[in-house]
Amino acid sequence: MNLFLILFGKIFIFLSSFLNLGSGSTWPGHIALSINENFLKDTLAKRKFKIILVAGTNGKTTTSKLIKDILEKSGKRVFKNESGANLINGVASSIINNSDMLEKLNYDFAIFEIDENTLPILLQSVSADFIICLNLFRDQLDRYGEVNTISEKWKKAFWKLPKKTKLIFNADDPQIAALGRDVKLNAYYFGLDEKPHYKNLQHASDSIYCPLCNSRLSYETIYFSHLGKWKCESCEYSRPDLYISKLGKYPLPGTYNKYNALGAVLVARLLKIDAKQINIALKEFTPAFGRQEIVEYKNKKIQIFLSKNPASFNQSLSAINELKAKHLLLVLNDRIPDGRDISWIWDVDFEDNLKNFKRISVSGDRVYDMALRIKYSENGKWQMANGKSEIKIYENLKEAVEKVISNISKDEILYVLPTYSAMLDLRKILTGKSIL
Amino acid sequence: MKNKNYTLSPILYSLNIGWLYPDLMSTYGDRGNIMVLSKRCEWRGIDVKIRNLNEGFDEKLLKGIDILFMGGAQDIQQQIVSRDFSSKKIASLKRKIEDGTPGLYVCGAYQFLGKYYKEVNGTKIKGLGILDLFTENPGEGNERFIGNVIIQANGLWQMANSKKTISNTPYAKRYVVGFENHGGRTYLGKNLKPFGQVVRGFGNNDMDKTEGAIYKNSIGTYLHGPILPKNPEIADFLIKRALEIKYGEKIKLEKLDDSLSQKTRKSVLQKIISF
Repeated sequence: MNLFLILFGKIFIFLSSFLNLGSGSTWPGHIALSINENFLKDTLAKRKFKIILVAGTNGKTTTSKLIKDILEKSGKRVFKNESGANLINGVASSIINNSDMLEKLNYDFAIFEIDENTLPILLQSVSADFIICLNLFRDQLDRYGEVNTISEKWKKAFWKLPKKTKLIFNADDPQIAALGRDVKLNAYYFGLDEKPHYKNLQHASDSIYCPLCNSRLSYETIYFSHLGKWKCESCEYSRPDLYISKLGKYPLPGTYNKYNALGAVLVARLLKIDAKQINIALKEFTPAFGRQEIVEYKNKKIQIFLSKNPASFNQSLSAINELKAKHLLLVLNDRIPDGRDISWIWDVDFEDNLKNFKRISVSGDRVYDMALRIKYSENGKWQMANGKSEIKIYENLKEAVEKVISNISKDEILYVLPTYSAMLDLRKILTGKSIL
Repeated sequence: MKNKNYTLSPILYSLNIGWLYPDLMSTYGDRGNIMVLSKRCEWRGIDVKIRNLNEGFDEKLLKGIDILFMGGAQDIQQQIVSRDFSSKKIASLKRKIEDGTPGLYVCGAYQFLGKYYKEVNGTKIKGLGILDLFTENPGEGNERFIGNVIIQANGLWQMANSKKTISNTPYAKRYVVGFENHGGRTYLGKNLKPFGQVVRGFGNNDMDKTEGAIYKNSIGTYLHGPILPKNPEIADFLIKRALEIKYGEKIKLEKLDDSLSQKTRKSVLQKIISF
């Protein structure tokens, strides 16, 4: 039965990529699960490999690719679900895609990046060896509900975990760190120990109240959003001790990528991977689709920073400012994978981050909403650098890309900050291929 | 040569905007409403200050506030705010609202102004009891009201412009667009006017086609989006009323270029209608 589903799925994937309809990263799994709802349990029951789950609002794709690269560098055989195909059907599809014709998965590791809502559901049928919890930020409130709701679901799911499951938490996120209290022996923490990046909390800070007693937390250092070295003055709960807080060199710019790298390296260390191999993998790391990925188009360079919620948008803006970006294209969609509610753009700190750009263009399904947001962020400083505060509005994304690219020189880079579906559209324009 | 249109614009007017619980009651881009209020004052040369009224604020501060704003929140945050609302604080806020201080109360804040909020499990959480309304969450099995909304804000236009009737208000301006996301159903008392009538979406309870409430110069609504950027007339209504109350004179606000707001509203209207 499952063998049939796997063979059928494989044919589907082949046809789909042959016809350039996408890589078939969700549909084969969807079909398999609708015929056999225990497909995951059945196919993973006799597994000899270890399963690593990566969860959190931001950084799933980059972190799981980092772990995959490190493990492969040390000679392990690894498969993972496709970036963004992070629901149950995406996991099932990756099993179909990576099984051989005898229903066997000849691997040492499976890495699954998992959607926040899906993690508790997946844990009902899959026993993981490692679970990495990166962070929880406000994201797609229309779909996920609020941050507390998700952490509550995770907490309950973690109570039922088998003893062998090791949990890796970002200690700098109070809500995430608190999840470790229930799984004491198996909790491992990463976080940063650096000089503070911000003096005051940023606007888009979600979990600044004590997860235990609801009192306002105090921060010794703030790295971004609600991530930092925190403490509750009232019940004395504070950031747990860190197993790892620093790397010699980080593979990608941006504070958020430091956390991703620390999480990945902590897993690698727990798996006793040789330090040398870890370092080589980090050094040779190339970003995943749309996550600081650089694409050449008509002899010009375009770098894509997926920016899908206030926290990731703020981090993208600060990262491209560090890179001295001059040309910016923002693309805002409101399709299901982006979240239908675009209110969140008002929680992004454009105010301090637009002053160094020569040209700012906007596009996407909600192009006017984005233009309006920028209009109200208008501050004196940016106006001066630009001469005027006019931004370019393009309803059509392809036109936006063509026009903007024709205005930059060969040694300049166009930085594009798209939401999720906008990133897929953009890559299709740039490479002619669909990802999902 | 003298330019006839040239006027010195000394700062004549000033307004204090009180943002109730910005740290706690601020999900869903609520901050955008504050930005719009403050920019639209700034662009007109009105000196504007934002006063953050956080947990533990002194209720005496309310006295100096000309416009009030409060947004939505998660359940836990609402509990903290509820704890912070002492009876003294409630009385001061009630006095402000009764005195006609313009205010915008979105989603959770709107529910808060009512008599109670009945949770899924049946427990009633006491509201501030300032507006004659109550909210009930019918619980699991009932859908959350999520999606783009269009309303016709009759109550507001009547108040803002007593001479103008809805029929001679320009087409696009009659509609207010936003995004709603709430589990609770709100029911208005007999004498409380709704903020508007639902054209698309759910509104207060999906039954009586009402959306929000308007009382004196206070607006309660479920509309996020946030509401003010795409509907700047509402921001101007609040600013105008605040100035009139503070300075005791008739105010005519300088017109601003709102073509981008209109375009945005129009594109959202088209999007929703074509759905």
